[in-house]
This record gives sequence, C-alpha cells and structure tokens, in this order.
Amino acid sequence: MHHMASHAGANRLPAAARHADAGHGGHVAPPRPSPAEATTELVRATAAGRRFKLAALILTVLAVLGVVGIIARLAGGTGPADQKEWGYVAATMAFMLVAFGGAPLVAIAPTLAKANWNRPLTRVAALFSMAGVVTALLLIPLLAVLPPLVVDGARRRSVWFDGPTYSPHFWGMIALSGLALTGLGLFYANALPDFAAVRDHATGWRQRLGKRLANGFAGTDNQWRSLRMRIGMLGTLYFLLLVFTHFLISTDFAISLVPGWKDAIFPMYQSLTSLQAGIASTLIAMWAARRFGGLEKYIQRDQFWALGKLMFGMSLLWFYFFFSGFIVFWYGRSGPDTMVLDLLVRGPFIYAFIAAFVLSFFLPWWLLIWNKLRDSVWGPPLVAVLILTGNFLNEVRVYVTSWSVDPAHIHDRFLSPETVNTVGTHFPDIFDIFVIVGAPAAGVLLMLLASRAVPVVSIWEVKQWLLLSRPMKYMKGHVVLVAKPD
Amino acid sequence: MQQRRVIDQVHTNRVLLNGQLATPKWWLPAVSVLGVIVLIGWVLIGFMINKGLGVTGLNRPVFWGVMIVTFVFWVGISHAGIMISAILRLTQAEWRRPVTRTAELLTVCSLLTALLFPAMQDGRVWRDYWLTPMDWARGVWPNPRSPLVWDPFAIGTYLSGAIMFLYVALLPDVGNLRDRTTGKMHMFYTVMALGWRGNPRQWKLQTIGGILLSALMLPIFVSVHSVVSWDFAITPGVEGWHSTIFAPYFVIGAVHSGVSAVVTVMAAMRWLWKWDEFIRPEHFDALARLLIVVATAWLGFTFLELVFALYGQEGQEVALRELQIFTWPWNAWFIVFMMCGYVIPVTMWLFKSVRNNIALMFWSSVLVNIGMWLERYFIVVGGLQRKTPFVYTWDYYRPSAIEWAIMGWSFAWVTFLLLLFSRFFPLVPLFEQKESQTFSGEIKIGRARVPAVMREQE
Amino acid sequence: MVIDVDRCTGCNGCVLACQAENNIPLNYQTEYERNRAIAWIRVERYWEGEFPDVKARFIPVLCQHCENAPCEPVCPVYATYHNPEGLNVQVYNRCVGTKYCANGCPYLVRFFNWYEPVWPESLRNHLNPDVTVRSRGIMEKCSFCIQRIRRGIRQASRENRQVRDGDIQTACQQACPTEAIVFGDFNDSNSRVSRMKGDERAYKLLDHLNTEPSVVYLAAVDKDKKPAGDASHG
Repeated sequence: MHHMASHAGANRLPAAARHADAGHGGHVAPPRPSPAEATTELVRATAAGRRFKLAALILTVLAVLGVVGIIARLAGGTGPADQKEWGYVAATMAFMLVAFGGAPLVAIAPTLAKANWNRPLTRVAALFSMAGVVTALLLIPLLAVLPPLVVDGARRRSVWFDGPTYSPHFWGMIALSGLALTGLGLFYANALPDFAAVRDHATGWRQRLGKRLANGFAGTDNQWRSLRMRIGMLGTLYFLLLVFTHFLISTDFAISLVPGWKDAIFPMYQSLTSLQAGIASTLIAMWAARRFGGLEKYIQRDQFWALGKLMFGMSLLWFYFFFSGFIVFWYGRSGPDTMVLDLLVRGPFIYAFIAAFVLSFFLPWWLLIWNKLRDSVWGPPLVAVLILTGNFLNEVRVYVTSWSVDPAHIHDRFLSPETVNTVGTHFPDIFDIFVIVGAPAAGVLLMLLASRAVPVVSIWEVKQWLLLSRPMKYMKGHVVLVAKPD
Repeated sequence: MQQRRVIDQVHTNRVLLNGQLATPKWWLPAVSVLGVIVLIGWVLIGFMINKGLGVTGLNRPVFWGVMIVTFVFWVGISHAGIMISAILRLTQAEWRRPVTRTAELLTVCSLLTALLFPAMQDGRVWRDYWLTPMDWARGVWPNPRSPLVWDPFAIGTYLSGAIMFLYVALLPDVGNLRDRTTGKMHMFYTVMALGWRGNPRQWKLQTIGGILLSALMLPIFVSVHSVVSWDFAITPGVEGWHSTIFAPYFVIGAVHSGVSAVVTVMAAMRWLWKWDEFIRPEHFDALARLLIVVATAWLGFTFLELVFALYGQEGQEVALRELQIFTWPWNAWFIVFMMCGYVIPVTMWLFKSVRNNIALMFWSSVLVNIGMWLERYFIVVGGLQRKTPFVYTWDYYRPSAIEWAIMGWSFAWVTFLLLLFSRFFPLVPLFEQKESQTFSGEIKIGRARVPAVMREQE
Repeated sequence: MVIDVDRCTGCNGCVLACQAENNIPLNYQTEYERNRAIAWIRVERYWEGEFPDVKARFIPVLCQHCENAPCEPVCPVYATYHNPEGLNVQVYNRCVGTKYCANGCPYLVRFFNWYEPVWPESLRNHLNPDVTVRSRGIMEKCSFCIQRIRRGIRQASRENRQVRDGDIQTACQQACPTEAIVFGDFNDSNSRVSRMKGDERAYKLLDHLNTEPSVVYLAAVDKDKKPAGDASHG
C-alpha cells in the first residue's frame, strides 16, 4: 500500500481558498474515516450474523427448489413437442444474463472513465459475476431443447448462415461460460488487495483463505501497476463479451425461433436493457449492504444519486431502442413485419408488454425526474425494483413467445397468421415458478457466501480515495480537493 | 496525464481575445477567398433550381444522391457539439474547457448548412414552405406521417436549442468584450451582452441554465439523427434501408464523425490563433480515447447491420452487399471507407505518442470524416441502386460536376461561417479557462505533488 | 386491373398509347442512357435459358395502385393519396418534388420531371387537352387514365345510368392487340376483372410486402413445363 500523506499544510490551495473564512458553520461534512479505521471496520463487517445465516438458509431452500424445477422439466422431455414448456426457463436465463450480467459494468465503466463516486460500489457490483456461473449452468438444459438449425432438410434463418447445425449450441456455451469466467477473473483482480487485507487483519478460516487467494500481494509498485492493467483489460474484455453474449443469446434463442423476424436492433436493445438492469441490481444490492451490513459511512447518498441519474438515462434509452425497432416494423406495414408485431407486441403477452413498458420506462422516467426521490437513499433502489420487474416481464414476452412458436413452422420463411394464432398465452406452472425464483436465489446465495470471504466495500479503493482527496473549507462552504494523478 | 499551467487572468484575456480586439492578418484574405467560393456555390445552386434537377446525375432509381448524402453528413457533424458540451459538462470533466464553444459553434453552423440540402434538392424549391404548417389559405396541411415533416421539427428544435446553448455560454465573454471595446463594436457587444454584470446571481443563473440545457439537449441530440435515419429506415420499398438498427447506428456514426470534426477544428484553431497554452496535447489525448470507444461501438453497429441485412437472404439485399463489397469500383471505395473510417485512425490512436501529436490527430480526424461521408454514400446510393428484386431496374448513378461543386461549397460555407463568428467572439471560452484556474490546486502525497481539482462536497 | 401475361407479346403498344394519351414527355436517347426515361407503363423483358433454348419473358409493369401504398404516407405535402375510388392519385400542383414517394415505391413506377418538358412545334397539337402538362420538378405516374374514368362517369350520369363494365377503357387496354390488359371495377362482382381475378394463374407482384396491389397478373403458361398453378411469382 502507498504510504499515507499526513501534512495537509503542504498542499497548494486554489487561489481563492487561501482567503477562505475559517470556522463558518452551516454545512456539515460527511463522516470521513481514517484509512486504518476503514480497514478494520470493513474486515469486521464480513462476519456472518444471525440475519445472514437466516437469509442464506432461505436462499438455499429456494435454490434447491430451482434445481427440483429443472429436473422436473427435464423429466417432462426435451423433444420438439416439449419446446413450449421451456419458455419460462429460457426467459429466466435471459433475465439473469440481463440483470446479473450487466452489474459488473458498474464496477468497470466509471472506473475506466476515472470516476471516483463508484469506489464504494465496485465490490458489490463485481460480486454479481458470481451469479454468472448460475446463468451458464442454466444454459445447459436449454441447449438440449434448442432445435438444431436444420430439420428435415429445411434450414431456419440464423446468423450462422451456412455454418454447422450445432453452431448456436456451441457458441452460446462458449460465450456464456467465457463471460462467467471473465467475470470471476474481474472479481478476483478487483478483490486481490482486499484478500491481502483480510490476510493481515482477520482470523480463522478467513485469514487462511485470504492468504491463499492473496497470492503474496504486498502492495509494491509493480504489483499495483500490473493490477491496474489487469483490471482495465479484464474490464474491457468483460464489456465486449457481454455485448457479444447478448448478441448470441438473443439471436439464437429468440430471433431465430420466429420465422421472418429480422431485427438488427434487438441484440443492442438487450445489451442496453442489461446496462439498465445491471445498475438496478447494483442499487438494490447497495441498499441491502448499507442497511444490513451497517455500512452507512461508506455507501452514501452520493452513490445512490449518481447511479439514479445513470439509471434514468438508461430508462430513456430503453424506450428509444424499443421504439427504433417498433417504428420500422409498424410504419412499413409489410407482411412479415406486421406478423412479428402481431406475435410479439400485440400478441398473447400484450399485458406483459404493457406492464414492462410502464415499469421499465414510464414509471422510472416520472419517478426519477423528481429530485427528492432521485437524490435519496431509498428512491433509486425502489425504482430499481420496478425496473427489474419490468425487465423480467419483457424477457417473458419475448422468450416465452418465441419458444412457443409451433416447432413444425419455425423453418418457414415468414410467419403466417395461423402460426401466430396457435401461440396462446402460456402461464407458468409450479415448476416454472420454482426455476424463476430459484435461479436468481442461487445467484444471490453465491454472492452472499462470497461476501463473507472479502469485504463488501472495496477497502483499497476507499483508501485510495482517502489518499487522493482533501476536504477543505472554501468561502462559506465545504469542498474537496481531488487529486488527478493521471 | 496533465499539462497544467498557471495562467493569470490578464494573460488569458490578452491571448484568447486576440482575434476580437484586433483582426488577425490572415483573416481577411481567408474570408475573402471563402466568400468567393460561397458566392459561386450559390450561383450554381440557383442555376440548378432554374434549369431543373436534370443537371445533376440523379435518375431512376437513384432519386437521392450526393446532396442527401451530404445532408446526412452535416447533420452527423452537428452531433459533436452536444456530445462534448453537454455530456462533459454534466460529468464535470476538466478537459472539456477549451473545446466546448468550438463544438457548439460547429453544431450551429453545420445544422444551418444541413437544413439547406433537402430544401435545395427538391423539384420545386419555391414551394418548400408547404412542408411547414403555413398554408392557412389552402386549408391543406403537411402530412404529419411523413418523416420529411418530422425532419424540420427535429432539426429546428436542435438548432434553436444549440443556439440557446451557445448564447448562454457566450454571455460572460461578450460582457468581457463589451468592457474592452469602443465605438460601433462596443454598441454591438452591449446589445449582445444583455446586461451581463458578472454578479453572483447572474453567474448562478448562467450555470443553472447551462446545466438545464445540457440535460434537455441530450434527448434531442439522440432523437435528431434518429429522425433523419427514419427517413430511410421506415420505407419497405428499399430493402437495404429497412433495418431496425438505423437509428442508433446513425447516431453513433454521427458522434464519431462529429467528434473527429471537432478535433480537426481545434487543431486548426490552435495553429491559426497560436493558442498553444490553452489547447494542449492532453485535450487531444482525451478526445482520441473517447473516439476509440465511439469508433469501436460504431464498428459493432456496422457489423450488426451487415449480419442482419444478410440474415433474411433476400435477393436484392444479398446483391446490394455484393455490389458494395465485391464489385468494382465499389470494392475499392469500400476498402477506403473501412480504412479511413476505422482501421487507420483507431490503430493510430492506440499509441500515446500519436494522441499527443497535434498534426497526426488533425490528419487522422480528416480521414475519419472522409470515411464517414463514404459510409453515407454506400447506404443512400447503394441501397437505391439495388432496391427491388426486379433486376431490370438496377442501375448506376454518376454524380455530376454540379453536385460535387455543391458538396465542396458546403465545406466552404461552414468554414466561412466559423471564421465570421471568430472575428466577433472568442472561440475558447474565457470564463471556463479562468474557472479551471480557480479550481485547480495541488496535493502532496508522500513526496509527490499531484495536480488536483476542487469539487463540491455533496 | 387484370393483366394476362400469357397473352402479352411484348409489342409495347401499351407504352406508346399511354405516352400519347397522357402527354408524357418525349424520351430521347440521352434520357434512356441516363435512365430518366418516363414510361408510365413499361414492358420488362427477361431472358431465360441459354442459346438455342432461349425464352423471352415479358411483363407489363405499371402503377399497382396499392391499397397499402408505401408511397402515400411518406409524401410531406399529401401530393399523393388514396382516393375513395381506390386509385392512388398524384396531385401535380401540390407536388414539391422531394422524390420520397419514388424511393418508397418498390415497383419503381414513379417518374420525375428532371427538366422542363419540351415538345417540338409540330407535336404541340397532339397533346391531350384532358390531361395536365407537367412542369419540371414534379412526380408523375400511371393514373389508370383517370380522365377517361371521369369521362365515362360523366357520360353515364348524362344518360341517367350506372357505368357499365367495359364503358371505361384505359389507353393501354385500348391499344393492346391481344387484350392482355383488362380494366374494370373489382367492386362489381359481375365485371370481367372480378371474374378473372379468381383464376388459378392469378398472382400479385411482391406479395409479401403487403402493399395489396390493385393489379392482378395471370401467370404465363409454358407449354414445355407443367401448367403453372401456384401463385409463387414475384
């Protein structure tokens, strides 16, 4: 770790501040722990209290139910006739990719843009990569059900053109598992100095685990430099892989299953939903960490406000991307386009669509516009819950519908009205509900378990902030002088 | 990395106002030459309107050609202003300071130019006002379902917002100029300054105004080029255009081309007015890094558009891509387009030494815009040449000399407007420079002295 | 309108008749070379096969007067719209010349006046007084000879009767030597076109675009192949 500076007087103050009025009150500066305090508090916060154990127990039960649901589905069969039954599992997988896959970006992107407000959040956001494992696992049974590209000599439209019949299966698995591994790698890189902190300040199994995982990290200049490079590269790789994975999953598991659906913007629409949902998941996790982890000093209103603003922008963009696709189909009035709209928007899941529209766009827009709600600790997480619900309903609308298209007709060139009419509104049965609840529960369980091994707020990033910032008085207010080392 | 200087206010005033308090030697010759070119251009446009559109190379099926391509190009360039000004203002990035006014000005000038193109390429230009709801006597209104009616509304909103944005940011500097001039110029600046006194209340209003406009302009900025893209995307008649991705694809292409244009103009500004202290390599470094991200996103969108174009395996769509990529002379231009638009610039920008070299940044940004103009040509003209499955109707388009002349005229016109503005108003905001000096400080960490910036405590 | 492609010999008589009836500007060689020739109805010719088994296929293409016309919603000034009779009409004096409708038309049946049309002195008297002479900058296209439709309706009302099937003939129909083109009222179930459109050879151009054209084509019968019975053309 860097040596700490201790001489505030050696700083050069901005010209006007030298004549600052000392001792004028009014504005109360937020609490500022010392680096040593931060380390001990955050390490101590990894202890597993009673509430934690209860939560872990409930989540384990739900996760087991999820596994039961998958097994029951598998017992029901994986042939073409059973494809319709797997719609909700596909929707859950897509939702997990969207909501949990997008969260680590909150750790990467602002850091790459040299922002300081996301420092307390990076660990919470990076923890979501644990859930990526569950998403990849959830893909496996789906690969068994996904129809091959060529059936009875007829080849359905796909992005693989004349490629091998099992391309979607192969590349989908590569993408999701690659994403999960990159996410884990990113989490590990981000957590490495904190494993060293745990090694130095904790006891018992944590201390042993920290020692193993810290891998001799001593905070030398070279180690810090290579750590920064690793985080930068893994972060960029994760972002590119996320966009690519969304492209593959949305084209192979949705677009390709609906004949005549040619939609260039849909993968980007899903990627953007992922950004929106990732911010939403992070907000909820932040709120829970602050409330149940006693971390009020570290996760402050400022973080919620910044993420709230970003989420507002993402919600507007959600509408923009949706509308860009919609208007091209609606205005052109051509046969295949109208059929696609009849199936996916005006079709059996029209109420899910309306709900998604309201929850993912309309309500966040009008709620987050309200300053009092946006600039608070409770506001953005509340809107985040609405957004995640809306996103789930949106995935249901798309994936359950596309998996419900009659397998005998998915190799047609265009959708016919008869095919559209055979897709009815399909409600989830009890095993679907097990999976819908169990899969995210399994992801959250993994996150919770990981959060006992390493602090939920990144110690080294908080300490860097304490090092780089100097609060001071400026005229009648409080400002902070922020060093910009690059 | 930063190249901080301590620059006092007197020096700032003297150097940044050197274009207004005295006319630079090169200004009058440059403006005269450009003025002549602009006049010739107007004459040619008049000739085209008089004779009819037959003097262009347009035909059936290519009813829209170089003029519409140039229209989309200039709307694209106009997106730089808001991207840089609004987003960097809202994120409080320090490196925006010398860039904002140039970017906003480029937006206004290129929008004014862009608006002329769809008007001038109409068959009966003197009836263009029928696209506006001005026809009370006849009782027939414009068709709100037509994207060509959405266009003036979107671009007009953007233009008025951009002008307001430019003006609000200009006020403190106009006040400064008012206090340093006499005679006719003094009267001009007095009127323009709207009573700016620089007291705390006015500063507060000006700052809030800037932030509000930034936030409001962001949705407009996204929507303008989307509306322009929907001119093409919504019609099923041209299969190559009928793709859902056009809106964000055009927007990201616009940001790419616009920010590159800002780099070009800034490099030129630094050279022309000798502003080496204020426009430093660190600004080009930051812009280049932003451009790498934007360009890569643009490449991703291009890839998506291509994949889904071929997805349906429709005859005319496949034939279009075959034309664009494999048929002479399009294949050569395709390589030029890809090289200029992405490969060469982004590869160059990956190197820190290139990012900090002003000359290389200038030339690479020019390359980008050559590539982006070609991209619009590929989309507009290519799409029309392979429009339908009726092979009988596929034909080629040879732009005529007049169209190339008008395209060249538009560049002269924009530069002319920029130079005209620069004679009366400083292109680098003085108050932003002075603000950055006020906010800058230094922190001692260990034995290192690290530059720092003041921020409000939330 | 119903066009029986099997009867079409590719003589281009319809093209000439339309040109004479509707005051279409003269197309010089330069206009053809620059692909600006105006021909409201054109006969497209496709070659099939290799020598010596070459076949020429002809199909007359004219404005399809689509129910779901892609050219109509995009005109900014309502210069083209669908009238209650089912025609897609072009209002010449409203047209500003943005050419957006031409881009929207997938059949490429819209034409633009690139220059001011000029007729030599000797041909001035051949202009049809019932049809507007268009100036430069205006879009034009087949109108199903709307002047003849109006004349037929006026004649019928003068004689106090309904318009009978066969009263109104478009210029192309009148000129066609093999009666390949038949024009009539689809709303009248007894008209010739209504009876012909149910033929097993019937198809519409670019059906999948859902433009709902008002022109029905009857497929050509190739004596060397099995009778073409399915509507799979276009």
